[in-house]
Amino acid sequence: MGPRVRFAAKNDLREHSCTGNDCKKVFEPMRPESNLEILMARYQQGDYAAVSDLIGRISPQLHRFFLVQSASRADADDLLQETWLRIHKVRHTYRPGEPALPWFYAIARYVRVDHYRKSVRTTAGERRLEAMSKEAVAVAGKLDHVESLEALLAPLPESQREVIEMLKVAGMSLEEVARATSSSVGSVKQKAHRAYTKLRETMNAKGQSGGLS
Amino acid sequence: MKDREIDDVLKTTGRALPGPAQVTLQRVAESIKPSLRPVRPLPPQWALTAGLFLICAAVSLAGAARAGFFGFEKMDSLERLLIFPALVLLAWIAGSEFVHEMIPGSRHRVSPGALLGLGSAVLLAVFAFLFRDYQTDHFISVGIVCLLTGFIHAVPASLLAWLLVRRGFAVNSVAAGLVAGTLGGLAGVGVLELHCPNFEAAHVLVWHTAVVPLSAGAGALVAWALRFRAGSGSQERTTLE
Repeated sequence: MGPRVRFAAKNDLREHSCTGNDCKKVFEPMRPESNLEILMARYQQGDYAAVSDLIGRISPQLHRFFLVQSASRADADDLLQETWLRIHKVRHTYRPGEPALPWFYAIARYVRVDHYRKSVRTTAGERRLEAMSKEAVAVAGKLDHVESLEALLAPLPESQREVIEMLKVAGMSLEEVARATSSSVGSVKQKAHRAYTKLRETMNAKGQSGGLS
Repeated sequence: MKDREIDDVLKTTGRALPGPAQVTLQRVAESIKPSLRPVRPLPPQWALTAGLFLICAAVSLAGAARAGFFGFEKMDSLERLLIFPALVLLAWIAGSEFVHEMIPGSRHRVSPGALLGLGSAVLLAVFAFLFRDYQTDHFISVGIVCLLTGFIHAVPASLLAWLLVRRGFAVNSVAAGLVAGTLGGLAGVGVLELHCPNFEAAHVLVWHTAVVPLSAGAGALVAWALRFRAGSGSQERTTLE
């Protein structure tokens, strides 16, 4: 009973059904995911305190998502701001009761892809020079642990990297990752499996050559 | 190295990543504050799906009413019992998927490509089973007329469908365009099935079914062009700034 109720609570607020003394066990303490859904509903009602709370709680995860996708810290900051502006613009598309985390990640993903597309199109000389100088500053400003996680995930294709980030770094469930990436649970499992096979090979090779501490 | 060890490495390095600066978060909060007002969430998914389905049905019926229900009148009971329920089912699935495309973080049961494949395959199977007249008279000239008739009705159906869910937000606009086109294409096939009295197997299999991929392709192309234009526009603005 316990695990089943916990899964339901994580995925759908409407499934918070229980009987007798079990209720207290389910609702206390409230899971952070459930809090997100409540905060989102309050955000839609125009509650500024809920927005501030959401910004404080979601931003570190989204920032990490952008950093892992090989963005510099400055880029990650820009993408984060852009994501919040987009979230604010389309906040009415969140459906109360649905999991909020995949909704946030789906929009963050859109912003990242859109940013990438624009940067690919921008090939004019002046812009290119500007980007190069920005990149140089960004590389200089990167922290060591960013590089190590980046180096760890570098052999993976982008689609596998984002799945691993969501599953293992952000701690999302398979269902949530599937929703965020507009794919099926099977496809997410397959990507994660392939990514782990590759990571294992890479880590073993590094371990043998003494590259991984 | 075991999976659990990889998990630990990922978690440790992930946790060590720096968070956003407090100033950035304050800036975000401040930029949101002035325009913060209550918003009305989208209607329930079933309501939007039903709306899309009704648009599809209305376009099909209106198109056939204008051109005549000659096809429907010529059909026997088995043909009516197989073709129209299949169209209804496919239109409901396409409508539901279109709603999912317009709501970020929705659960996707069928991918847009699979939906197009499934729709075309089901129609081909039903038509191949029902129509056994293998003659071909004026295959191209008559076929093109049917294809254009179907497509001409698919366009308003897709546009009306988009109008209904325009408050949504497509994180993948090309996929949303493809699904909207598929839905419109099914409305176009509906018009043809109600109107076209030509029951030659090759005609129905090729020209009637082709409305769906044609309309889906057009939907995806329009969405891609709009996205490209929007991207170019914002790029120009950036350069000007």
